[in-house]
Amino acid sequence: MSRAETGSASVYHRSVVWLLFLILLLPLLGTLVYSIASSWSATILPSGFTFKWYIQLWSDPRFLAAFGQSLLVCVAALVLSVVLILPLLFVVHYHFPRLDALMNILILLPFAVPPVVSSVGLLQLYGSGPLRMVGTPWILIGCYFTVALPFMYRAITNNLQAINLRDLMDAAQLLGASTWQAAFLVVLPNLRKGLMVALLLSFSFLFGEFVFANILVGTRYETLQVFLNNMRNSSGHFTSALVISYFLFVLVLTWVATFLNKDKSQ
Amino acid sequence: MSRGKWLALLCLVPFAVFFIVFQIAPLVWVLIHSVQSEEGGWGLANFIKIFNSKFYLQAIQHSLEISFWSSLFGIVIAILGSYSLRKVDSRLRNFVNAFANMTSNFSGVPLAFAFIILLGFNGSITIMLKQAGIIEDFNLYSKTGLIILYTYFQIPLGVLLLYPAFDALREDWRESASLLGANSWQFWRHIGLPVLTPALLGTFVILLANALGAYATVYALTTGNFNVLPIRIAAMVSGDISLDPNMASALAVILVGLMTLVTLVHQWLLKRSYHVAR
Amino acid sequence: MSFVSVEHLQKSYSGTPVFSDINCSIAKGEFVTLLGPSGCGKSTLLRCIAGLTPVDGGKILLDGQDIVPLSPQKRGIGMVFQSYALFPNMTVEQNVAFGLRMQKVNTDDSHKRVAEVLHLVELNDFAKRYPHQLSGGQCQRVALARSLVTRPRLLLLDEPLSALDARIRKHLREQIRTIQRELGLTTIFVTHDQEEALVMSDRIFLMNKGHIVQSGNAQTLYAAPADAFAAGFIGNYNLLDAETASRLLQRPVSSRIAIRPETLGLSLQGEPDGVILSHSLLGNVIRYRVEVRGVQVIVDVLNRAPGDLYPDGQRVALSIDSSTLCEVA
Repeated sequence: MSRAETGSASVYHRSVVWLLFLILLLPLLGTLVYSIASSWSATILPSGFTFKWYIQLWSDPRFLAAFGQSLLVCVAALVLSVVLILPLLFVVHYHFPRLDALMNILILLPFAVPPVVSSVGLLQLYGSGPLRMVGTPWILIGCYFTVALPFMYRAITNNLQAINLRDLMDAAQLLGASTWQAAFLVVLPNLRKGLMVALLLSFSFLFGEFVFANILVGTRYETLQVFLNNMRNSSGHFTSALVISYFLFVLVLTWVATFLNKDKSQ
Repeated sequence: MSRGKWLALLCLVPFAVFFIVFQIAPLVWVLIHSVQSEEGGWGLANFIKIFNSKFYLQAIQHSLEISFWSSLFGIVIAILGSYSLRKVDSRLRNFVNAFANMTSNFSGVPLAFAFIILLGFNGSITIMLKQAGIIEDFNLYSKTGLIILYTYFQIPLGVLLLYPAFDALREDWRESASLLGANSWQFWRHIGLPVLTPALLGTFVILLANALGAYATVYALTTGNFNVLPIRIAAMVSGDISLDPNMASALAVILVGLMTLVTLVHQWLLKRSYHVAR
Repeated sequence: MSFVSVEHLQKSYSGTPVFSDINCSIAKGEFVTLLGPSGCGKSTLLRCIAGLTPVDGGKILLDGQDIVPLSPQKRGIGMVFQSYALFPNMTVEQNVAFGLRMQKVNTDDSHKRVAEVLHLVELNDFAKRYPHQLSGGQCQRVALARSLVTRPRLLLLDEPLSALDARIRKHLREQIRTIQRELGLTTIFVTHDQEEALVMSDRIFLMNKGHIVQSGNAQTLYAAPADAFAAGFIGNYNLLDAETASRLLQRPVSSRIAIRPETLGLSLQGEPDGVILSHSLLGNVIRYRVEVRGVQVIVDVLNRAPGDLYPDGQRVALSIDSSTLCEVA
C-alpha cells in the first residue's frame, strides 16, 4: 500500500486534495450562504442572515406536495425494481448463468440511451391510446425502474458472486430446504448489504432526476426537481433554501442507511 | 428443460415486460420514426434536412464542443485529484471521497442554480473577479460558461472511475524504474501512462457520453434556450411551438450515433495501444 | 578494503526503530546473504542500500563513496524484486533495454548488450514476448537480465525466489550464482530460507530484530552458532538449557548447549540408556525423537540401509561427540 510520502511530495498531494475539495464545495457553499442570507445582490457577501426562507419553504403546501410526490414516485419505483430484479437476478445466476452476459449488455441501455431520447418514444407511444400514461406518475415509476436497473443489477450481482450463490443453495438444499425456502431464508438475508447500497444509490439518483419528470409529466404531477425549476423566477433565496433542504435530506438518508447497514453486519 | 427451469423462466416475464415497455419500445419507436417523414413515407429526408440546416449543425457542433472540452478538463482534474487522493492519509482520503460522492447528487437543476449564484451576472465570484480586474465580463450562459459548468459535474464521476484504476500501478515498477535511472517524468511517460491508458480512455469516453446526453443542467441554466442536441430534441416533442416527433427521432438517432461512434473509436484505440491481458 | 561498507545505519518507521546501529562490510565480488526471520529488517536494509527507503542516520559507502545523499537513479545499483516488477507494457527486449535507454546508450550498442544478457539467462527466444506471456521463472530471469545489462557496481536481490516453486527455485539458484561468479559482481541476497543462504553464499549475515547477530561463511554459521537465536534459526539444533544439558552429559554445564542432531549417534551396542519415542522419514535422513535420562533430543541418521530404521520403543545407546557441542549464550 502507499507509504506516507516524504516532505514536499506529501505537501503537494495534500494541497491537491484540499483544492479538489474546495472546488467541489464552492457551489454548495454558495447556495447554502444564499439560503440563509436576507439579501444578497451585486455584492460579494450577503448583507444579513436569516432563516426566513426555510420557514417560508417548509410552510409552502406546494413544496410539501412536490416533496411527497417525489418520495412516492421514488419509493414506488424502488419497490417495483426490487420485485422485478431480485427474482431476475436469482434466476439468471442460479439457472441460466450464461444470460448474465446478455444482461450486462442490456443494463447498458439506460446509460447508452439518454433520457431525452427515450422521452421522444415514450411521449408518442404512451401519450394517447390504450397505454395512456403520460402525465401520470405511472409512466414515471416505470421509467425510474429502468434508471435504477443498472445500479441495482450490478450491486446485487457483485454481492451474489461474493456469497457464492451455488454453494449456499446446494448446502441449504442438502439440509432439506426447497428452492423457495433456500432463496428466502438463506440467500436473501445475505443480500441485504448489496441491496441496501443499491437502493440508496438508486434513491439518490432518482430523487434528483429531472428529465423524465419534466418532459413526461411536468406540472401535472410535480416532483421536487420540477418544482425547483418552476420556482426559478421566484426569489433566489427561496430556491437556494429548497436546494439545501433537498441536499440535506439525501445526506441524512445516506448517513442513516449507512449507519443501519454497518450496524447489522457487525 | 425441467419444469423447474420453465417456472424460473416465467419469473423473468414481468421484468421483461416492464423493460420492453419502458426501455426497448421507445428506442425502437425512435429508430423507426427517424426514417419516416411527415407525409408518411420512408427515407433519409429528416437526416438530409438536419445536415443542411445551419441551426441543427450548430446544435451538433455545440454538443460536441462542450462535451469534448468539459470531458478533457474534467479528466485532467480527476487524474490529478485521484492520484493525490491515493497518496494522502486515510482520514482525509475517506472524507474527500465521501464528499465527492455526495456532490454527484448535486448535478442538474440545483447545480445550475448554484452556478447562477456564483458565476451569474451578479454572482459572487463574477463580482470578485471583476473587482480584481481579472475579467471584464463573464457570461455564464455562453458556451464557455456551459463548459465550466459541465466540467464541474464531470469531476466526481471522473474521480470515481479513475481512483480504482491506479490500483493497476504497482509501486515496485516505480522503484525498479528509478534504480534503472528513470526520474519521475520518465517513469510516467514510459510506464505509468501507458499502463493507465485503457482506463483513461474508457473514463474519457464515459465522460463524453455523460456530457452529450446531459439535459437537466443546460435546460435549467438557459431555460431551454441554448442550442445543444438534447435541448433541440426535447423542444420538438414537448415545447409550445412546432412539434415534430420524426425530426426529433432523427436528431435523437444522431445523438445516440455520436455516442456509439465515440465508443467505437475507444475500442479501436484500445486494440492499437498496449493493454494488459489478465 | 571493503567494496560496500555500512556504517552506523539507523532507520525507524514512525517512532519504532527498525535498526539502530548496523555495521557491516562486503568485499568486491563477494556474494553475501542477509538471512533472518520476517520482520528482522533485512529487506529494509537492502532497500536503504538501494535508496528506495531513506535512512535516518549513518553512512553507506560504495567503492569509497557515501551514497546516502544520492537518489536511486544515480547509485549504479541493480535490483531484482520478489514480484519481478517487469513493466507490463513492454516486451522482454524493451524491459531489458530500459536501463540502457535511460543511460542514453545508442541503439546498436543497446541491441548488442541486450542480446548478450538474454543469452546469459537463456531467454533469447523470448525477446518479443510480453511479461504476461511468461512463467514465473522466466519473469525472474528477465528481471535479472534487466538489472545486469546496465553493468551495475552492486547487485541486490530481495527474496527473488520466494514466489517460485521448488524445482525452478533450485535451478535459478544455480544460475544466479554461476552468472555472479562469471561477472565477478558484488551481490547482496536477501532470504528467509536458510538452505538457500547456505548453498549460495560466500558469507552470511544472520539478522534478528534489526541486529546482525552473526556473520561468517556457511560452515561457521551452521556449525558454530553464536547464540540461542542463531542455533534456533539455522539447522535443527537441540537447544538445551544448562540444567538439562548437565543431566544429559552427566557432567556440570554452565551455559546453554546446542547440539546438532547429526552429531549424535545411535547404536544397539553398548549401554542402552535411551529409547526411541518416534521417527519421521525425511527422505535421505531419518529423524528420531529419543529420550535419554529424561531428556528428549532429536537425532538425525542417514538413511543408508534398512538396518538404520529402528522401531519406536527400541532401546538404544546414545553417543555424544563433545567436540561438536556448542556453547551458546
